[in-house]
Amino acid sequence: MQHTLEIKDLHAAVETKEGRKEILKGVNLTVHSGETHAIMGPNGSGKSTLAYTLAGHPKYEVESGQALLDGQDLLKMTADERAKAGLFLAMQYPVEVPGVSMTNFLRTAKTEVEGKAPAIRSWVKDLQGSMKKLRMDPKFAQRSVNEGFSGGEKKRAEVLQLELLKPKFAILDETDSGLDVDALRVVSEGVNRAKEDNDFGILMVTHYTRILRYIKPDIVHVFADGRFIKTGGPELADELEETGYDQYLPEGSDSESALA
Amino acid sequence: MSNATSQEVSMPVADPNDPYKAPALMPSSADKEPRSFSPDAFAVPTRKIDDWRYTPVERISEFFDVFTPSNATEISASYIDGSAVSESSGVSFRSIEKTQAPAGTVLKPSDRASAVQWASTDRTYALEITKDQSIPVLVNITGAGLALDALHLVIVAGENVHADIVLEHSGQARLAEGVELSTGKHSEVSLTSIQEWTNDSKHVGSHRLHVGEGAHLRHSVVTLSGDVVRLRMDQDFGGPEGDLNMLGIYFVDPGQHIEHRTMVVHNYPECKSRVVYKGALDGKDAHSTWVGNALIQPSAPNTDSYELNRNLVLTPGAIADSEPNLEIENGNIVGAGHASSVGRFDDEELFYLQSRGIPEIEARKLVVRGFFGELVDQIGIAEISKHLMGVIDRRLARGESDEMKHVLEEN
Repeated sequence: MQHTLEIKDLHAAVETKEGRKEILKGVNLTVHSGETHAIMGPNGSGKSTLAYTLAGHPKYEVESGQALLDGQDLLKMTADERAKAGLFLAMQYPVEVPGVSMTNFLRTAKTEVEGKAPAIRSWVKDLQGSMKKLRMDPKFAQRSVNEGFSGGEKKRAEVLQLELLKPKFAILDETDSGLDVDALRVVSEGVNRAKEDNDFGILMVTHYTRILRYIKPDIVHVFADGRFIKTGGPELADELEETGYDQYLPEGSDSESALA
Repeated sequence: MSNATSQEVSMPVADPNDPYKAPALMPSSADKEPRSFSPDAFAVPTRKIDDWRYTPVERISEFFDVFTPSNATEISASYIDGSAVSESSGVSFRSIEKTQAPAGTVLKPSDRASAVQWASTDRTYALEITKDQSIPVLVNITGAGLALDALHLVIVAGENVHADIVLEHSGQARLAEGVELSTGKHSEVSLTSIQEWTNDSKHVGSHRLHVGEGAHLRHSVVTLSGDVVRLRMDQDFGGPEGDLNMLGIYFVDPGQHIEHRTMVVHNYPECKSRVVYKGALDGKDAHSTWVGNALIQPSAPNTDSYELNRNLVLTPGAIADSEPNLEIENGNIVGAGHASSVGRFDDEELFYLQSRGIPEIEARKLVVRGFFGELVDQIGIAEISKHLMGVIDRRLARGESDEMKHVLEEN
C-alpha cells in the first residue's frame, strides 16, 4: 500500500538561554513509500531538529506548518500517537532505560503499535531471527534497554526495532555515526532488509556519504539554515563529497564541518 | 596505671569542641545514643539532635512523652491465604505480659520514641515459630482511628526454622509500635513489614532484630502511605556467619514524610549484610529520609557489608534526604561499601519510550516498575510482589487525576 508523508512549510523553534530561537524555517518535503531520501547538510543546519520535531520531542515547539501522513497531521499528535500512525525515528543517541528489559520494551511497543499483543510463538521467532541477522548476542534481549550497550550495539538495537515495528516512514538520524565499517554494513543491511519487507519510505539524515554506499538514496537534499535548499539525484551526494557544504552556507558564516 | 606511666603514654583526651583532634576517641558517630527502656535516658527530640535532624519533630511530638494508649488497634495472625495458624503447625500467636520473656529481650530501645512506646504499651503480643512454614504467616495490624495507641510485638523463630512473616499495617492510625525479632541458629527467615495507612495516619516505630549464628534474615520494609511514618531498624548478630539482607521500598505523596533508618551492627566475624532501599517521590513537599548506618566492630573480622539508597523524583517539589554512614573499626574486612542517589524522572527516557508507540502513562509505569522491579522480586513472596506492583501501577495511574494536575501546575 502506498503512503505519503508531506511536510508543508514547517517552522519550529527551541527555547534557549538567549531566548527563543527559530531552527526550522519553512521545511517542505514529500516522501512516498519505497523512496529513500538522503538529507545532508552542515552541522547546526537543523537536520536533527527536523527529525525530532517530526517525532514529537517536547523540546521543539512547532510554530506553523503541517506534517501529513496520509493526510493526518502528525504535529497534532503525541509522540506515541505518531509512532502508532507509522512514524519511526532511529535516534543518533538512543536513550538508556534502566530496569526495563529489551524484551519487555519491544513487546510493549509492538502491542501498542499494532493495537494487540503479538502471538507469542511468532513474536519470539521474529525477535530471535532479527537479532541473529543483526548479529546481536541473544543475551541482549534480557538486558535493560540500551543500558551499557556500545555505540554500535545501540544502533543495531534501533534497527532491530525498525524491523519489528514495521513503520510506514523511518527517519534515520545519523545512524552511521560512531560505527566502524563492519558495524555500518550490518546496520545498513538491516535497514535494507526491513525496507524490502515493508516498503517504507526513508528520510536518512547524515553528514557523510559513507552510508549512502550501503543504503542507496533515490533523492538527495541539501539542508542548510533550517530549510531544504537543493534537491537532486544520487549524483548530488558525490558533488557534496567533492565540494563540501560551504557554498550552501549564508555569506560570512563559518561551517563547523569545514572547520572540523 | 601509675602517674609515671600515664605521662609516658600520654593518651590524648578528647576535646568535645573539636573531636577531630583525636579521632580515635570520638564516640561512635553512627551510634552514639544510649540503649535504654527509660524515656528519660533520651533528650526530647529536636532537629538539633543528629538522629532527628531530617524529621519534622513538631508533627510527631505526641510520640515523645509517655501516654495512655487507646488500645483500639486491631491485631490478628493467620496464614497469608486466610487459614488459621496453630501450635500444632508450629506457630503460636498470643497476648503476653510486657514483663514476660521474650518481650524486651532482643535489644533495648535506641531512641526516645521507642522508649516512650515501650513505657506506654499495655498490649504485647508474641509470635513464636518453632517449625518450618511453607506458607507465609500474616499479622494484620489495623488502625482504629487517630487516637494515640501503642503496641508491642515480639517474634521468635527457632533454630533451623524456615519461615516467612508478613506484617500488614492498614487503616487509619496514630501508632507507636515496637517490633522485636530474634532468629535462631541457622534459621532462614523473612520479615516483611508493609505500611499502607490512610493519608492522615502517623506511625512511629522501631524494629529490633537479632540474627542468629549462621542464620539468614531478609528484612523488608514497604511503606506506601501515611502522613508521617518513621521507622528505625536496629540489628545485631548472635554469632559468626550471619547473613542479613535488608530491603526497603517507599512511595511518598505530596506533603508526606516517610523516614527509614537502618542501623546494622557487625559484632561477630564472617557476617554479611546488604541494605538496599529505593523510593519514589511524587509531588510538592513529598519528603523521604533514609539514613543507613553500618558499624563494623573490632570483633567482626571478614565482614562483608554494603548499603544502597536510590530515590526517583517523579514530579518537581519533592525532597529526598539520603545519608549513608559507615564506621569501620576493623581493618580486616571483605568489603564495606555504600551508594546513594537522588534522580529525576528522565524526560528523555519518556520520549524514547513514547516514540516507540508507548503512551506516557504506560511509559511511566514501565520506568517505575523497572526501578522497583528487581527489589520487589527479591522480597520473594509472590502475593506481596503482585500486590506491590498493583499498588505502584495505581499510584502512577493516579498521576492523571485532577488532584495531581493541580500539584503539577503549582510547580
